[in-house]
Amino acid sequence: MPEVYNWQLGRAMTYRFPEAHPEWQFAFVFNINRCLACQTCTMACKATWTFSEGQEHMWWNNVETKPYGGYPRGWDSRLLATLEAANPGGQTWDVSRTGPRTPYGRYRGQTIFEAARTLGGTDEAIGYLPSEDEWAAPNVWEDTATGAKGRPGVYGRGTELPVHTPWFFYLQRLCNHCTYPACVAACPRNAIYKRKEDGIVLIDQSRCRGYRKCVQQCPYKKPMYRATTRVSEKCVGCYPRIEGSDPLTEGLPTETRCMAVCPGKIRMQGLVKIAEDGSWEEDPEHPIYYLVKVAKVALPLYPQFGTEPNGYYIPPRWVPREYLVQMFGPGVDEAIETYTAPPRELLAVLALFRATRTILFKFRVEKGPKVRDAVIDGRRWAMYDDTVIGYDRQGREVVRLPVVEPFYERPRKYLNSI
Amino acid sequence: MSALGRRIVARPGIVLLALALAAAGVLTATGTRLAASQEPVLVAMRTEGEVPWRDPWDPFWNRVPAVDVALSAQQSVPPMGGKRLTISARAVNDGENLYLEVEWPDPTADRSVGATEDFTDAVAVQFPASGATRVPAFCMGDPTASVNIWQWRAAWQADVARGFRGHVADLHPNGYVDLYPFEGDETFLTGRAAGNPFSVERRSSAVDNLVATGNGTLTADPTPLVQGWGAWRDGVWRVVFTRSFTVGREGNVSFAPDDYKDVAFAVWDGGAEERDGMKSVASFMALDVSPELLAGGAGRALWPFAFLGIGVVWAAFAWMVLDGFRRREA
Repeated sequence: MPEVYNWQLGRAMTYRFPEAHPEWQFAFVFNINRCLACQTCTMACKATWTFSEGQEHMWWNNVETKPYGGYPRGWDSRLLATLEAANPGGQTWDVSRTGPRTPYGRYRGQTIFEAARTLGGTDEAIGYLPSEDEWAAPNVWEDTATGAKGRPGVYGRGTELPVHTPWFFYLQRLCNHCTYPACVAACPRNAIYKRKEDGIVLIDQSRCRGYRKCVQQCPYKKPMYRATTRVSEKCVGCYPRIEGSDPLTEGLPTETRCMAVCPGKIRMQGLVKIAEDGSWEEDPEHPIYYLVKVAKVALPLYPQFGTEPNGYYIPPRWVPREYLVQMFGPGVDEAIETYTAPPRELLAVLALFRATRTILFKFRVEKGPKVRDAVIDGRRWAMYDDTVIGYDRQGREVVRLPVVEPFYERPRKYLNSI
Repeated sequence: MSALGRRIVARPGIVLLALALAAAGVLTATGTRLAASQEPVLVAMRTEGEVPWRDPWDPFWNRVPAVDVALSAQQSVPPMGGKRLTISARAVNDGENLYLEVEWPDPTADRSVGATEDFTDAVAVQFPASGATRVPAFCMGDPTASVNIWQWRAAWQADVARGFRGHVADLHPNGYVDLYPFEGDETFLTGRAAGNPFSVERRSSAVDNLVATGNGTLTADPTPLVQGWGAWRDGVWRVVFTRSFTVGREGNVSFAPDDYKDVAFAVWDGGAEERDGMKSVASFMALDVSPELLAGGAGRALWPFAFLGIGVVWAAFAWMVLDGFRRREA
């Protein structure tokens, strides 16, 4: 069994195939703090890809309310329980040493691939096949908060940071187009592949035989079975938009449908340049690279699963840290601390979210005047009215906007007009 | 007694050698393989009447001798699975077509592939592909020796019998949908648009005809060359496969009267979520396409020849011995 290096775990792990990395990697950052679960992303995806017969249960993009919600129901807690059964109490991190190749320390537990060997059997990864019923209610437990511990219905004092007593948050999910996809490892027919040009993972619709091993072993449950074609389908990363082959995109890599429609401006999507050894080529002026590798405010979803997912999340500030660490790994404290009092550059990059549908490959900040002094969590913080500029793949400027949103006061004579 | 007769009587070793040579000659002439005949041979006797292939429970099939085949769990390639299972196989031919019936126990008949967790019961027979100069690896063949697989799927038969069973109206009779945009445009039925044989809406055979040259290479021939029909009764599946002796297409097995072929079996239990390599399998065994007419004892068609040959040798020996005595007395 080949060994591959998973930088999110800070160590090598076993995987069915040896390392072979794409030139560019589809990646995205979601700011959970901004999401209000309007499901515009969900519906944009639905209206683009999964509106046909046999796809009724398919939501390649979905937004679920944590901790109770899940699509399919209980997808993550069930897998975490299996992982725990394989390696009781072992899912811990050694955070004593961090570095460029070990940004979150070193994972001491087992991945879904390693746990499959521990538990026996011949599957590549632990998993399960969700029942039809579990796919049927994609937004069940919407907006349902946890109560005070041991006192159902008693919600305590919710508005205090760092942790709310009753809490919930929205988790936006699509295929993570993983570096080491479990679906690719699971497919006995090798009908699933990862594209060299952008790392997008696709199911070959002509070769799939509907075995549903991918449905079973993808930890994020994003491949789905379709009864009208008897084969499985999954999020295609809106690849015509990424390629720039969609007529709308005028040849430029363009954000996916779910990203481009986000009214809450929580999403930023990009293509990161991958080095031969699978690491991200250093590029602090690339917005995704900056968020994940420099500011370290965006963290992978369930890194312990071991697939090296390429979706990153700015964790919600109000949620108990223990829960967040389980979901996003040990980088949570630093990410929230940085996000709470964002450095000048981070504030500029956050302004770029949803500023354009063209995928940005570079940003630059033009410095402006200081507009505010504050003390946040005992630390001095200042805000500047900088200007942030975003550039497309060709290096052309496609967006320019101020960090401080312009403020307009409606003239008195128009007070009640629309 | 002649001089030769005396020398024979005096040297029993020569007698045994001569007998062995004669027996080998007879076995070769009749095409009987001693090594193969240690294992069960599935003999497809010839029949002149119409073979009821659409009715596996027709009394006709009970007249065809059955050979028991022991299957075991597939344990050479992941995903592994299956179990120990004994199936019965029967075969006949009508001079132009081969008919092969497989019977195996299965407590539930699983005919749907409608929901994510629904898997179909299935059975497959596998032959070395035409042109194979040696017996391929029995698990899906290998790059230098491909295999021809006929796979019957209960779900496909439901499609043939009742029309495509994958519609929402079939799976959720009380469901309501107001409209599907671009309904009928196959672009949005991606498997079908990509030409995937699994996604076919109008299916004319319950049997897929496949060729493989190793694991993960299984490729379907979209032309329905093989037919088949199954019926489940009281916890037992019976499935009949039929195909003409030759189809004139590369990769497909060919038969001829008096032909020996290798044949292997595999069974999937859909209720146990078996699919792909998760199956019960048996290695290759011999299939004899016999020109002899089906009657009682058809399953041992070659043995009368073998017994006859050995009998002739013994008779010759006895004649020589008796002849020697007679001459001595004279």
